[in-house]
Amino acid sequence: MISGGKNYVSSAPAFSNDGKRLLVCSGSTVSVFSTATGSLVSSLEGHSAPVTALVVCPASSSLLTYCWTASVDCTIRHWDFSVPECLKTLDLRFPVFSMVVPSLLSPREETDAKKRHDVFAYVSLQNDNANAKENCPKPSCGQIRKCNLTNFHAVSSLILKETERPESLTVSPSGKFLGIKDKRKLHIWKILKVDSNSAVSKKITLHHSKTITVLTFHPMERIVAAGDVTGRILIWRGFGAKKFLHSAGLVNGRSTNDEEDKPGVRENDDAESCSTWHWHSSGVRLLSFSSDGAYLYSGGKEGVLVLWQLDTGKKKFLPRIGSPLLYFVDSPDPSLSSISCADNQIHILKMPSLEIVRSISGIKPPLSHQDICEGFCSRAAFDYTSGLVAVQTQNYGIQFYSLFANRGLYEVQVCERNHQPVDEVTVVVSLVELSVDGSIMGTVEVKLPEDGFGGLVCLKFWDLDDNKRFSVSTHIYEPHRDAHISAVAFHPTRRMAVSSSYGGDFKIWVCKEEIQQKGQMLQNSGWMCHAVGSYKNKAMRAAAFSADGSVLAVAADTVITLWDPNNNVLVAVIGETPMPITSLAFVGKSDYLLSVCHNSKPQLSVWSMSKLTASWSYKHLQIEAVSCAIDLSYFAVLALLPDCIKGKLQGDGIILLFNVTDPIAVASWSVTKAIGGGLAFLKGDPSEPSQTLLTYINGDREYIIFHPFGKEAFELSTRRQDDLVFEETGQFGYTSIYGELPKLDLKRNLASSISSTASERPWETIFSGSSHMLPPLTKLCSEFLESLLEKRTPTVE
Amino acid sequence: MASADIRGILTAFNPSQDFFAITAGDGRVKIWDTLKGQLWTEFADFALTRSTTLLDKSINGHLALDYTCINWFSFERKRKRKHASSLLLLGTGGGDLLALDVAAGQLSWRITDCHPGGVRTTASSANGSIIYTAGADGMVCVIDLMIGNLLEKFKASTKAVSCMCVSPDGKTLATAAAQLKIFNCSNHKKIQKFSGHPGSVRCMVFTEDGKYILSSAVGERYVAIWRIDGAKKQSASCVLAMEHPAVFLDSRCIDSGEHDEAGICVLAISEAGSCYLWFGNNVEELRNAKPTKVSLSLEDMSPRNFKGALPAIYAAKLQGTQKPTSGQVFLVYGLLVKPSFRKILVHSGSDIKMSVSHDGVLLPTSQSLVKSKKGINAQTVTTLDRANAEDALLPIPKVFDSHGKEKAFQKSLDKNVIDDLHSTRKADFIDIEDDMAQSEIDVICMEDRLRSLRMLSSESEYASNIELCSMLLKGIDLEATVPAKKIREAVLSIESSEAFQLLQVLLATWKSRSCSGKYILPWIYSILVNHGHNVTAQQYVEDTLDSLDKITKFRGATLQPLLQLSGRLQLVASQIDKASQTISHSANDIQTEESEDEDEDQYYHEEEDDASEISTGDES
Repeated sequence: MISGGKNYVSSAPAFSNDGKRLLVCSGSTVSVFSTATGSLVSSLEGHSAPVTALVVCPASSSLLTYCWTASVDCTIRHWDFSVPECLKTLDLRFPVFSMVVPSLLSPREETDAKKRHDVFAYVSLQNDNANAKENCPKPSCGQIRKCNLTNFHAVSSLILKETERPESLTVSPSGKFLGIKDKRKLHIWKILKVDSNSAVSKKITLHHSKTITVLTFHPMERIVAAGDVTGRILIWRGFGAKKFLHSAGLVNGRSTNDEEDKPGVRENDDAESCSTWHWHSSGVRLLSFSSDGAYLYSGGKEGVLVLWQLDTGKKKFLPRIGSPLLYFVDSPDPSLSSISCADNQIHILKMPSLEIVRSISGIKPPLSHQDICEGFCSRAAFDYTSGLVAVQTQNYGIQFYSLFANRGLYEVQVCERNHQPVDEVTVVVSLVELSVDGSIMGTVEVKLPEDGFGGLVCLKFWDLDDNKRFSVSTHIYEPHRDAHISAVAFHPTRRMAVSSSYGGDFKIWVCKEEIQQKGQMLQNSGWMCHAVGSYKNKAMRAAAFSADGSVLAVAADTVITLWDPNNNVLVAVIGETPMPITSLAFVGKSDYLLSVCHNSKPQLSVWSMSKLTASWSYKHLQIEAVSCAIDLSYFAVLALLPDCIKGKLQGDGIILLFNVTDPIAVASWSVTKAIGGGLAFLKGDPSEPSQTLLTYINGDREYIIFHPFGKEAFELSTRRQDDLVFEETGQFGYTSIYGELPKLDLKRNLASSISSTASERPWETIFSGSSHMLPPLTKLCSEFLESLLEKRTPTVE
Repeated sequence: MASADIRGILTAFNPSQDFFAITAGDGRVKIWDTLKGQLWTEFADFALTRSTTLLDKSINGHLALDYTCINWFSFERKRKRKHASSLLLLGTGGGDLLALDVAAGQLSWRITDCHPGGVRTTASSANGSIIYTAGADGMVCVIDLMIGNLLEKFKASTKAVSCMCVSPDGKTLATAAAQLKIFNCSNHKKIQKFSGHPGSVRCMVFTEDGKYILSSAVGERYVAIWRIDGAKKQSASCVLAMEHPAVFLDSRCIDSGEHDEAGICVLAISEAGSCYLWFGNNVEELRNAKPTKVSLSLEDMSPRNFKGALPAIYAAKLQGTQKPTSGQVFLVYGLLVKPSFRKILVHSGSDIKMSVSHDGVLLPTSQSLVKSKKGINAQTVTTLDRANAEDALLPIPKVFDSHGKEKAFQKSLDKNVIDDLHSTRKADFIDIEDDMAQSEIDVICMEDRLRSLRMLSSESEYASNIELCSMLLKGIDLEATVPAKKIREAVLSIESSEAFQLLQVLLATWKSRSCSGKYILPWIYSILVNHGHNVTAQQYVEDTLDSLDKITKFRGATLQPLLQLSGRLQLVASQIDKASQTISHSANDIQTEESEDEDEDQYYHEEEDDASEISTGDES
């Protein structure tokens, strides 16, 4: 079993003490990357839910390689990441969303005395139980508490602060202050030198007129910087002068009381001054002081890293990163730092020059603007032979990601235009489709109309060139006039494709090489339209070629039309389903066809091609994705669990593996984040190419590859891996989930209008049709007699 | 023709075959990403993290080390295929052994003066935890791969060991100088000895089942196969001839159910940079097998252009054999500066010539790639806009005709339809040509066309027909035998205009055969008789009557031949029956058929009546 496609930028990474390793939270594991090569060195596995916080224990010697991690699975773990092994596990019983360990950061003056002090972590927890009990009108499920890491019993009962949702904690590099943002306020605590479970820290609050998005502390001085949603950066200098210093009795010579005018400071906030910088046009996401405290880094949605000189406010820029920035992390090695981008990339920067030396890039995340253009988002396309997945990227491209190697191979730009994260989305790559052998790609891009004007659909065909990269071979503008393309499917063996449209027609495209019969090979291998077809002007939402390519099935609204793709002949019509069919697939080499409908009456139906009837079907099964094994008679569906049984199974989706002849699932696995997910059968990896593997990619583009038939799948039931929980639900009995099996025998429902079926016995169908078109008897008679005689010849002899 | 020489080039794949290490004698190790086909990283200068001792030679610049062997081993720690847990092992001519952690980009460990006189070969044990090294001193060292500790040492040969490999089950170790020796891995005892190679062996490999050893020595133009379990047989059991000496060998077993002994596929790369494959179901077959050659086409490559560096096949890996006569080979070929990586399927007997891409000389960066792609695209990309996306090669969809295949007997009838289709289609085309502005072509819908030609009645129409029927007939079921009196009564009770509507509906139902003629004909007859005098007052009535006439004529015409057919059938059937069955049976048959005959006759008479009625109706 192979899993991958994890999000590397869910929380801030951390450098090891020698700066040679970068620890990255990736799902439920922590991946350790080499900063020199940018490749994965090892991974810390043990958590069963996403890791949310990562603290590397600083040490003077670079050989010490310990770190603490906190996760949503309610545990905090202590690791030695060079080996790698888990040394200690603390069970907090609350999901942890953020953790800082200030005492690790504070300078150790008295080394012998230090040993007596316990190490305290401050954690941001989600406390659901309390809410449920109290049933208070104002839900405040986020809590900030202390936790003794050295001598752990339970989380301290002292609650520093309650917030609406778990907030991320920020600690000052010196380890003296701890801060959180809470809407328009900043809360800052002074951390006690000698901490204990019950000790109360002093707190000040700073106010602002806008919602604060991020905050950071100066490494040496009492300066805190915060960014807000409008893009302003506020810098409070000398915060907490009254409260923190007075009480501690550390008032230095110049008292703050002398300067009563506090420029820019609101109300009675405890700060000496507050200044505002404004360059970002949208919310500030990244804010960090340089280690020497002379500069401030900021970044936001624009994808530009801004370097502010703290004293003068002068700016320097690192532009064209191409994606919103999330985190900036300094390393102990002064020449290295890293920035995390929203497109699942971590760039390692060479420091004084701000030059990107290495990039750690994962699978591209799903488009964030998907809600804007619902219905245009494309699903991942899979390359059966080489185990690649093609996913669309933010910058109008397609990323090819190797599932077995778990790394991106390359990207192609579908439409050549610059992508700026702040720009409004005008173009969407709405469909990506790969042929079975992975040599042809079809893409559909939709230029969104501005004010209902100027929309454009473009279909592109791509060929694999010598470098194993796709290059465009044909553009087709408005292939179906104004109508949007609903599906693109490729012929399994020939260079032929079909595109179907909502406008009620489909077109078969062939490569010109096909037309040119061997004679002269054209250098220009463009595609052109081979045939056009439609059925009752019904919207066509899906298309599929059979395994041998002899039959093309196109879904026309609620019926399936079968065509001979070579001669453009309508062979038969089968149907119908209660709702428009949205997906079609032929099941491997067997003569069965699969159809899926959605909306109010979702249904999965299996049609027999030999009988032209429905073989069996499931009603009320919301199918998200289907995949058929190429050379087996198995198929797998990804179904969303109905609300009523969501609680019974973990996750929100279920993968069901069927044998096409049997409506009872062979195996099933429950999965999470099924919405927007995909499913595909793949040929085994290079070491065992004869195997067929099943891969599941979830809505966040995390994927898992497993053997659908092997024993391993059953072993997995006990093993919780990532957030994908596998359980064998054979005994669950399908009846317990969906009631009695709706083994429907839909009546053979040949559309009455088309009077033609392929039949073995011609005399049964010969008279169907209009009566004045009957064939002459002379022809008929011989035919009839012939067939009759053939049967009885043996008896005559 | 000049041929390449790849003797000095050392190559290694990583265990998952997504990285490839190559070094060409200049002390630089290049790591290529085989999936992307790009240079991933390069090791030239090793900064040692350990404190330098006196034994450590100062290593400055990449020319300081001369590598003699390269191998990529994985620890196989948790059965996880992570390239992270693998080390690239390099042996130097100075006798040092270096282990590189490629993922981390640093030296993992180093053993200096492991084999005085030079390390020659390395091999990994089956579980991957320990490695064996051998060198010029004839000793074999057993080393812990992870930390680089020397565990054991034993003498394998008095001469320099040039090649070594471990059997797949990990129990035996084969070393070779000129003489092959098989050792037991656990106690290092010699099991067997083969002599026959004149020079030192350059490459050697166990077959997958561990029964044979393949080897090839310097300067030999063949691969020798040695059987291990054979008693004291000293000579090679089989020899595979090549054109040039081999530098690399690989083999795979072919799963073939019918043989006890699995088939063998052998791959060899020659000094000249071409690849040979032999397929055989057993060793006997292998001996007689002709090699299948994979080579590069060098016609358009003159050695001058590349300063003597000719493209060659550098490495290959057999990835699997699906059938006894074909194998999946992962090839690394091309120019040394930019090798290409490709998987090909080799079928036994069909030689393959690979073309070499010319763009290897300059390393393409992503920037230049985009540019060059643009340049090429300008010439090769086809663009279709709305207008030319329309003209399909097969513009007219057809309905599948199940009779068409048998005989063209329907041609005469179908022709009308198709002609009609053609003509309308043509008319459409002409329209378009006339009016270029009107670019919107109606999509051809077979259904609509047929309907417009009145060959099909739509479902809605059909439904309304039924409705009308039931309305007019006041609940009398059409599909039942109704006495003639009742029909007459019902028909007389309705108005003549409605009666003709009913006539049309009935005609349509008859035509579409949704209801048997047996029930419909009395109704038609009755309507015509009772409302015949009002015929002229009705619209479209002529059409209706025409079609009625047509149908009855057709039916009438078919009746006679049908009767003949029936008679003949009876004859044939009875003859057949007579031949095969008892007389009593055949008598029964005849009786039943006679009764059927009578039915037909009645039917016939009715139709006759109808026809006469129509003619009278027409006349009036």
